[in-house]
Amino acid sequence: MPARHLIIGGGTAGMNAMRTIREEEREPSEITLVSAERPYSRMVLPYYLDRSIAESHVFTATAAQLAKWKVKTLVGRRAAALDVKAGVCTLDDGARVEYDDCLIATGSSAVRAPVPGADGPGVHSFWTLDEARSVIDGIRPGCQVVMVGAGFISFTILNSILSLGARLTIVEVAPRILPRMVDAAGAEVVEGWLKAHGVTLRTNVKLTKIEDARGRKRLKFSAGPDLACDVVIMATGIKTNLDWLEGSGVEINRGVVVDDRLRTNVPDVYAAGDVAEGRDLVSGQAAVHAIEPTAQEHGRVAGANMAGKDVRYRGSLIVNIVEVCHLDAASFGAWDDAKAEAVTGLKKDRNAYRKLLFTGDRLTGAIIIGRSNDIWTTNDVGMLKGLVQTGVSLARFKDLLRRNPFDVKTAFIAAKTTGALLPATVLGRPSMAPGDSPVAV
Amino acid sequence: MKVLKLVPERCTGCLRCEIACSYMQTATYQPAKSVIRVSPFEGHTSYAPYTCTQCAEGWCMTACPVGAITINAAGAKDVLDDTCVGCKLCTIACPYGTMFYDTSTRKAFKCNLCGGDPACAHACPTAAIEYVEAPASDWLGDFAAERVSHLLVAAGAR
Repeated sequence: MPARHLIIGGGTAGMNAMRTIREEEREPSEITLVSAERPYSRMVLPYYLDRSIAESHVFTATAAQLAKWKVKTLVGRRAAALDVKAGVCTLDDGARVEYDDCLIATGSSAVRAPVPGADGPGVHSFWTLDEARSVIDGIRPGCQVVMVGAGFISFTILNSILSLGARLTIVEVAPRILPRMVDAAGAEVVEGWLKAHGVTLRTNVKLTKIEDARGRKRLKFSAGPDLACDVVIMATGIKTNLDWLEGSGVEINRGVVVDDRLRTNVPDVYAAGDVAEGRDLVSGQAAVHAIEPTAQEHGRVAGANMAGKDVRYRGSLIVNIVEVCHLDAASFGAWDDAKAEAVTGLKKDRNAYRKLLFTGDRLTGAIIIGRSNDIWTTNDVGMLKGLVQTGVSLARFKDLLRRNPFDVKTAFIAAKTTGALLPATVLGRPSMAPGDSPVAV
Repeated sequence: MKVLKLVPERCTGCLRCEIACSYMQTATYQPAKSVIRVSPFEGHTSYAPYTCTQCAEGWCMTACPVGAITINAAGAKDVLDDTCVGCKLCTIACPYGTMFYDTSTRKAFKCNLCGGDPACAHACPTAAIEYVEAPASDWLGDFAAERVSHLLVAAGAR
């Protein structure tokens, strides 16, 4: 009898797992996908919001493609309970799906600040496709939009909101923007840039209530004036979708605890992506990395192991990048490690900032901010990632970075980072192109 | 697979590769749009070109959330413009720093080996760039380590 794989969640981790199972398996298996939504890419939603792509562009697989890949799809259903002893997943409509092994890839959901009015009309999250659709319906040229929360999610849709002709105010409870992505000095550079581009920022303000005000919304704060607007977008964080696993016996800490093969404590049950708590590449500690690259890598490694390979995962590197009004801000690894040796550089006139964090002679974290049309910004983003990812010994070339943190390339090449990178692959083999793979995306 | 073999000792820093690359890729003479980049070493006494290795992992390709990076007939990772949405995930995924982003088109771009007939190799007058059968390699590491060490010694560093 062919192996029966059950993939719970049709996001990035689940799609990558299915694709890798099909790439790696020796004998055809059965794959069942349970997904609350049609599979789409969350990364692409900001470009749907600003109308630069059609809605059809966001989907990572059509029903016909999934059929071609011989995936049995249960779309629009949610997993409700997992019986790991019997190998059965019960869905929200009562259906039971038997499996030989399964992948928990149920992702995360947006959470809203717990204030009165947070669930009222005209108040949105921006996380799912449905939520994106309602934001699109809500924004009109010239309207006033308030985003609550100045974190990564806000910043991914900032350009789109401006390009729709809306006026934008961002309010943040922390004393500064991007508190979990860049340090205070970096935040200051981004804040200055946003203000110069017409975005109003109010940091250090605590939202207490959202009221209806004659067809508009009024936001009240613990201090300072009220704010009137047409659309409120709550970008106040996400939480992992784990409630349904309660009592299942699957070990949960901050996420589903997985080992270096993405296995949970329960035989034949794997977890990947936003729900999984796996190894952080830099610290070696367990961490939840709710980012796209981790979901991709987790999904691929889990899929390979489910297909019978033995693939170990080195761990995931926390990386984030946002572009706001043609200013790039990115950070890598342990960028906020107080114990690391830090070197910073600021070029105010170019809106450029670098922070490099060393542990011994290795780069273990970095922040980079610079204009997108400064030729080197994009290349430096990649090279800093390479230095942190490889943990290559910089030896005497560390002095080059210390002297000038803006010249990354010389030290990158001289430390032979390329040689350290070339043999490294996630699955122990060359990757297949989307079109060559049995399952696209 | 044929790759771009870089021989830094032969590079004179003439930048013809950058001009040829940008012309082939964008039909304009704009080194800013070139995906091969010449860097100075040892205080502009030597130079080396640097470009995508077409690595086995293809970090850009596996990172792309919409499948916009594929492998072309020459074996190069290649961006499909119509599919790319410009999310920049590839630029942060590529650990070699060889992805590029065009602020005017809002697309990522990279070396695609010109589909199998790379303009940079044609343009190089000193054969510092050759298009040959070879494994992907670190062509510049030893060269750069030696040249940069001279600078460090001159500056009295360890």
